[in-house]
Amino acid sequence: MAEQRLAMRTQFPASAESIKPRLKKAPEFPILEKQNWLIHLHYIRKDYEACKDVIKEQLQETQGLCEYAIYVQALIFRLEGNIQESLELFQTCAVLSPQSADNLKQVARSLFLLGKHKAATEVYNEAAKLNQKDWEICHNLGVCYIYLKQLDKAQDQLHNALHLNRHDLTYIMLGKIHLLEGDLDKAIEIYKKAVEFSPENTELLTTLGLLYLQLGIYQKAFEHLGNALTYDPTNYKAILAAGSMMQTHGDFDVALTKYRIVACAVPESPPLWNNIGMCFFGKKKYVAAISCLKRANYLAPFDWKILYNLGLVHLTMQQYASAFHFLSAAINFQPKMGELYMLLAVALTNLEDTENARRAYTEAVRLDKCNPLVNLNYAVLLYNQGEERGALAQYQEMEKKVNLLKDSSSLEFDPEMVEMAQKLGAALQVGEALVWTKPVKDPKSKQRTTSTSKAASFQQPLGSNQALGQAMSSAAAYRKLPSGVGGTSQLTKPASLPVEPEPTVEAQPTEASAQIREK
Amino acid sequence: MAGCTLRPHGQHPHLFRLPAAGRFAWGRGVQAAAATFLMEQHEPRTPALALASGPCVYVYKNLRPYFKFSLPQLPPNPLEQDLWNQAKEDRIDPLTLKEMLEGIREKAEVPLSVQSLRFLQLELSEMEAFVNQHKSKSIRRQTVITTMTTLKKNLADEDAVSCLVLGTENKELLVLDPEAFTVLAKISLPSVPVFLEVSGQFDVEFRLAAACRNGNIYMLRRDSKRPKYCIELSAQPVGLVRVHKVLVVGSNQDSLHGFTHKGKRLWAVQMPAAILTMNLLEQRSRGLQAVMAGLANGEVRIYRDKALLSIIRTPDAVTSLCFGRYGREDHTLIMTTRGGGLIIKILKRTAVFVEGGGEAGPPPAQAMKLNMPRKTRLYVDQTLREREAGTAMHRSFQADLYLLRLRAARAYAQALESSLSPVSATAREPLKLHAVVQGLGPTFKLTLHLQNTSTARPILGLLVCFLYNEGLYALPRAFFKVPLLVPGLSYPLETFVESLSDKGISDIIKVLVLREGQSAPLLSAHINMPVSEGLAAA
Repeated sequence: MAEQRLAMRTQFPASAESIKPRLKKAPEFPILEKQNWLIHLHYIRKDYEACKDVIKEQLQETQGLCEYAIYVQALIFRLEGNIQESLELFQTCAVLSPQSADNLKQVARSLFLLGKHKAATEVYNEAAKLNQKDWEICHNLGVCYIYLKQLDKAQDQLHNALHLNRHDLTYIMLGKIHLLEGDLDKAIEIYKKAVEFSPENTELLTTLGLLYLQLGIYQKAFEHLGNALTYDPTNYKAILAAGSMMQTHGDFDVALTKYRIVACAVPESPPLWNNIGMCFFGKKKYVAAISCLKRANYLAPFDWKILYNLGLVHLTMQQYASAFHFLSAAINFQPKMGELYMLLAVALTNLEDTENARRAYTEAVRLDKCNPLVNLNYAVLLYNQGEERGALAQYQEMEKKVNLLKDSSSLEFDPEMVEMAQKLGAALQVGEALVWTKPVKDPKSKQRTTSTSKAASFQQPLGSNQALGQAMSSAAAYRKLPSGVGGTSQLTKPASLPVEPEPTVEAQPTEASAQIREK
Repeated sequence: MAGCTLRPHGQHPHLFRLPAAGRFAWGRGVQAAAATFLMEQHEPRTPALALASGPCVYVYKNLRPYFKFSLPQLPPNPLEQDLWNQAKEDRIDPLTLKEMLEGIREKAEVPLSVQSLRFLQLELSEMEAFVNQHKSKSIRRQTVITTMTTLKKNLADEDAVSCLVLGTENKELLVLDPEAFTVLAKISLPSVPVFLEVSGQFDVEFRLAAACRNGNIYMLRRDSKRPKYCIELSAQPVGLVRVHKVLVVGSNQDSLHGFTHKGKRLWAVQMPAAILTMNLLEQRSRGLQAVMAGLANGEVRIYRDKALLSIIRTPDAVTSLCFGRYGREDHTLIMTTRGGGLIIKILKRTAVFVEGGGEAGPPPAQAMKLNMPRKTRLYVDQTLREREAGTAMHRSFQADLYLLRLRAARAYAQALESSLSPVSATAREPLKLHAVVQGLGPTFKLTLHLQNTSTARPILGLLVCFLYNEGLYALPRAFFKVPLLVPGLSYPLETFVESLSDKGISDIIKVLVLREGQSAPLLSAHINMPVSEGLAAA
């Protein structure tokens, strides 16, 4: 039945009028494009099976001359992953109508997908000759050049594309080039323009937010991440980044509620469980923190930041032997971070292995450039060993760093650290309170949390929230440290277990308020 | 029903069938588009039905065929015409004809006719016959209609006379006079139109948006010969609806976009599934205009701008939608489904669409509890123990670790000394060995893969020897020569092993690779034999 109808259909339009005068003549040729609209309709509705049926019918009828049918068949092949077949069909199309830039574009696209970027650029250049005002050609050429590592050419092409017609995708690629070049400021410029152009694109908003976060411009970062979340409340990246910022401000409960959304969508994300773990840590639920961190560690066993946090939590729990293992694992992955060696030294001190502790401190002092805690802890250890001279040297080193930080950054010193330093200063009989009078009088004296997080996030590839998540937690970690110091030093009474965590918890709210005041 | 367009589905080409007229007397074929419109002012004002199919528009009135309009022929390429004329007079032979035609195809602006294209495909032997058969025919180029809509002629009234607007495969838009069916205007587009959206009146001022196959939407006005604005969607449009002044476009990336009439993007909404069709919902009595979108998951969603007003769930995916007057009912929604069903829904007269019926506030996932890993009592006890005896634990661990390292180093040194490893590192015979045991027993197949890892030198004169407990296993050959080993190839050496014991015990078989004349093995492997499971059978 269907076939009959088909046969009639093929003949109908033209032959009905013309068949009488020339009966002996050959049958009329079918109109090639007769069913193109139907093919197209099936194609855009993603009804590929029906689409293939019509294509087959059409190609049979026209003996393979219907260019559009071949074209769509090739598109479907490509969607199904048969890129090589699609490439061949597109080449057939290019033979059928050599003047069409569209066919060349598709040939190039298939080449690109096959990883033949060089060949793709050649075909794109060919297509550009036929159609000079096509942003798509410029954009795709740009992308090809990125893969060919010719970043300058890529930039030119992408700018051309933007000039012809602005598209979010072009902005994203251009931003990526700047990031590849390590030029954060330029990347931010590009993303800013992009957000202006399409203010509701959550990917752009999130990326811009993350970039600001990397630069430590928290207010703007939060603004953009917040915007991203308004448009898409389930955006994984934005939630993680915003959550980590909330954690820095001590809003652990809010952050946890937000993480629930992510936990539903991406339950196997290591940074997510790391951040959740550090939320519990902030809330003093140490067992929960450890189990979450261990899950994160299970999911990403080579991530030193998770190991760092695990070490830190175990230090707080006075499980020094476990802490030692996590920290030494972390050092294996990240041997260039002073704080890690310091934590290791704290663990070793508590394990009564003073000799190795001292070695770790030496390494920490060598690597660290700006964290006064490292020197303070080392000084305490030396003092306890009776080496007052060494202790004095470290104390002075610490003073230097503190003075530097007071000028440059904007946060308060941890009161516990100040107290410890003052006690040590008294014990060493140095010009006591010289360093600390200012901070005590002027509560706005600055600390350097910002720089910690920055340093930590630097190593991360851009755009992954890992950076933020862990940047945050290492910042939190940093503040935790003084408690460890308190435990180590026998200047105060020998530390009783429950006393330790409390001062740290106080430390966090103060930090948070300090940051809020900044805004 | 006010001017609506129904798109038939491939399997059901006769979706639009006139009820009383029975079968169509003419106009068979798949209709690309259908539209109702008023042709003239005379009473009674019966609307006409236009069906576009192939190159023709069939107009029905009073359920009877009324008029057939055919698209004008396209002018053929003059060069091509000339060539065929020459062929007619036999002044050109088929081969030259072919070459010339190919030359035209490569360069010409005007594409070739089907006749020439078909000719170019032929084999040499068939050409002569083809030319003789077809040479007397004039060559023709015929285009087809891809889409159709209506545009009011000169009055904005609801029952004013309308023109038909046709989109054709050769990238043109035609506006037809409603009475004389002459072409009033012709506009060319950069691509083939797929969907049209027109508002205004032809004689006064109108705005036309055409979604095209290249994924762009072109905006035109009355006096513009070329598209004035262009929206590049970077995806295929699947529907085009104008709501007040906003142009709502559905893309095949499952999203709805709102644009101004100048092509500026206003908003975008993500859909849960692919959009299949879109149409306008207009409730005049309440002044409501909204967009309906039929989705592949069997939902019909109704949006006013970004706000979701309602969701209708249907048993099958809806492929076309139409909202309007049906009989006495002003607000009727007619839907056809992918499987060929027809659904008619009547809107309650008291019904009011309210925003916020959809998802608002925090996503539901936020209320779900975190799936936290639990810790056992044992864990807590261990923690406490570690706090008490951390130092001792650390020390004994460190001591054991050193011991372990020492032992490992010793074993390694010993293995190196006595060639116990499966890889031989000597300069003369770099070899690699690994063994595979297959079978359930009592007979196993033991395959040794021996590879010469040197870059150039073949190895000759090697022997393989098996050492095993003869009470447990029997091997046909416990000692044999290895053929010459070409560098890089892996040589499988097979042998059978018979398990003799019926007590379900297994043992180690040692494989030694020796050099002729040397007693120390080059390398060795210990094979842990599996327990024979085929005892009963044996």
